[in-house]
Amino acid sequence: MPDPVSISCEGLTYSYPGGTEPALSSVSFEVRTGEYVGVVGPNGGGKSTLLRLLNGLLAADSGTVRIAGHDPATEPFEVRRRVGMLFQNPENGLVAPFVEDDVAFGLENLGVPREEMRVRVREAIRSVGLVGYERREPHTLSGGEKQRVALAGLLALEPEILLLDEPTSMLDAAGRREVLDRTQGLRGGKTILHVTHHLEELLDADRVLVMNGGGLVADVPPGDLVSDPDLLEKNHLALPPLLRLAAGLGLEAARPRTPEDLARAIREKARGRAGTR
Amino acid sequence: MSAARSFGQFYPVASPLHALDPRAKILATAVLLLGLFFVDSAAGLGLVAAAVVALVAASRVPLVTFLRLLRPVAFIVVLTVLFQILFSREGETLFAWGIVEVHEGGLWLGLFLGLRIVLLVSAAALLTATTAPLALTDGLEDLLSPLKKLRFPAHEVAMMMTIALRFIPTLHEESQKITRAQAARGADFAEGGPLARVRAAIPILIPLTVGAFRRADELAEAMESRGYRGGEGRTRYRELRLRLHDVIALAATVLVLAGAALL
Amino acid sequence: MRLELRNIRHVYSPGTPFEVEALRGVSLSVEPGEVLGILGGTGSGKSTLVQHMNLLLEPASGDVLVDGVDAATLKRSELRRRIGLVFQFPEAALFAPTVAEDVAFAPRRLGLNEGEIEDRVRESLVLAGADHLKDRSPFALSGGEQRRVAIAGVLAMGPEMLVLDEPTSGLDPASRQGLLRLIQTLQDTGTSVVLVSHNTDEIAEVADRICILEGGEVRAIGSPAEVFYTHPEFAPATVLTVTALDEIGWDIGQPVRFGETLRALGDLVEG
Repeated sequence: MPDPVSISCEGLTYSYPGGTEPALSSVSFEVRTGEYVGVVGPNGGGKSTLLRLLNGLLAADSGTVRIAGHDPATEPFEVRRRVGMLFQNPENGLVAPFVEDDVAFGLENLGVPREEMRVRVREAIRSVGLVGYERREPHTLSGGEKQRVALAGLLALEPEILLLDEPTSMLDAAGRREVLDRTQGLRGGKTILHVTHHLEELLDADRVLVMNGGGLVADVPPGDLVSDPDLLEKNHLALPPLLRLAAGLGLEAARPRTPEDLARAIREKARGRAGTR
Repeated sequence: MSAARSFGQFYPVASPLHALDPRAKILATAVLLLGLFFVDSAAGLGLVAAAVVALVAASRVPLVTFLRLLRPVAFIVVLTVLFQILFSREGETLFAWGIVEVHEGGLWLGLFLGLRIVLLVSAAALLTATTAPLALTDGLEDLLSPLKKLRFPAHEVAMMMTIALRFIPTLHEESQKITRAQAARGADFAEGGPLARVRAAIPILIPLTVGAFRRADELAEAMESRGYRGGEGRTRYRELRLRLHDVIALAATVLVLAGAALL
Repeated sequence: MRLELRNIRHVYSPGTPFEVEALRGVSLSVEPGEVLGILGGTGSGKSTLVQHMNLLLEPASGDVLVDGVDAATLKRSELRRRIGLVFQFPEAALFAPTVAEDVAFAPRRLGLNEGEIEDRVRESLVLAGADHLKDRSPFALSGGEQRRVAIAGVLAMGPEMLVLDEPTSGLDPASRQGLLRLIQTLQDTGTSVVLVSHNTDEIAEVADRICILEGGEVRAIGSPAEVFYTHPEFAPATVLTVTALDEIGWDIGQPVRFGETLRALGDLVEG
């Protein structure tokens, strides 16, 4: 029976060597299996540090972490076979001179037999829509394509948990859409922790963790986050233009996803007004 | 938007040489390189030369392309030949003019040494022209892996070469971007003597180097996150299979060189 | 200073199998003191285009005119001083031990004396909002801070026109806002600004005129209202919302920026 809790932290604290203040201060939370959780907050607030503590790139000074049933500080390898992390810079996540070799990299590390590798690589490449790109060289790819290759490399390991560290922040609009389409498609099957500055990417999330100054300052559903101007301002979070417009018109409740949604909400409110005259 | 072919020397075409296992080719090249120093007769050298010509033909690499690969050593070859011709005093005098004396021995020795250099470089060029860089690193890793027992980091060396291959085009583009950015701030890389040009390169070299270190950090994080922990327990996606014709090719090379050395 | 590009064509690797026509006859002008927004995605040719503005790249055909004079006849160093170009991710080119020295690079190349250089450095750092970083090492700064230092480095040349290629790329929301405010400040000092971006909402907030670049060609050029209301596929959220409302016959005009759109829609909602 799969563990209902995928990730749990208790009192997690970490300071970078030479740092004057802790980068992470007594952070505690739980993520249930299959949840899609957003992580937001100002730069330097602890988001990236948190992810690195979760997959064992960093070891906590105090507190406990349990992810995919293991402790990343003592069993990093066990964690990494089950937890995939997608990084911000599409360029520096690709290690091999050809796409298919890069996708195979993680499988090679895990000692997967060659025949099985071929099947899983093929499937991973197909799942990110890059069939035909196998012999392409990374420097010939667009940002969105590079991130998809990196994602394929992660998916080939069939992880239970995905950690996304601002995967779209260096991409243009088209690249962002390419990558988000694939990551949103993984919902339900996998537990996902998604760090981002773009709140519109988290509207469908189950919860959003707000990190600021090394602490977890809020753990709320996305709807509550976008309709709380105080919370947004204190944590340097910016609403996407559509939601800002809605908020300015008192229409946060409408939660518009598209301009048409907002237009409909405006019409209703205007008609409602006209009706009371 | 770089149009440069990323892996300079490799010429991708189908040929019997291209199809050979890289390990066999590396070993054969090593035999050729070392063996040439044991060949001391004109007949022997001629035999090796004939073999190399046959190999170049079999490689389906256009002659023009191949000769271009040899161009860097043309100067050394000419220098070697001239040196022997002008300064050797072996054998009969063929020609004399003032202090310049050309002797028969010098002429032959010059030509011999020059031809040997050409053959040495041709052997190396044949290897890189007919073997894809990744295949080369795989082959080298395999051949060097017995040395792991002597604590030689064969896997790490191969991994470093693979990563270098991956990032050379990227670093090249990066250096172009930095150059353009500095040019936009008024930097001029073409003016001045050699010292000025070296100084002008600093605003390119420093950011490039710092950037490379940052890149290496991020890459290391990504590799670790994907379960990398050195060569232990790793399997390989790309396959290297030694077949009969690889063994034959290697054996033939050994025979030719042995024969040439004995001649 | 008025910059005009006439029928610019640019071909990469001409005559080889890798030949690519990045610009197919682009014509546009940048009027003195305006903010021109160039909207284009990857593959539109925008980065190639901006490099023609100070002739870092030369066109295969077409002319670049600075105040009516053919730019090719001007001294390159002079041209690059008057038209400052900031590339995408400009912090990759920071190299000096301190911020002040890095920003001094360009004025030093101009042959100014030490006193003038110091003034330039101070002024441009203040303008870019980075003067508190003057003695720090550029490599120890955050991404947003490095970005400002890089921009200051170009401002130190005292350009009449500043071209910014994706200046907010990779920045967090606070830094993005800061940068857009910087553009407005620059405009207030009389510098014209060319802002190249794929982010429609941002461009809409600051641009006086918009040019849409696609596949190496100009798809549209004009006032933001003209361009966005006739090209919905490139329009910002504000315009799209108004357009969606237009469908039922309410005339709200053609607001583009957030403030004016909010006011127009607010009036509607309040009755």
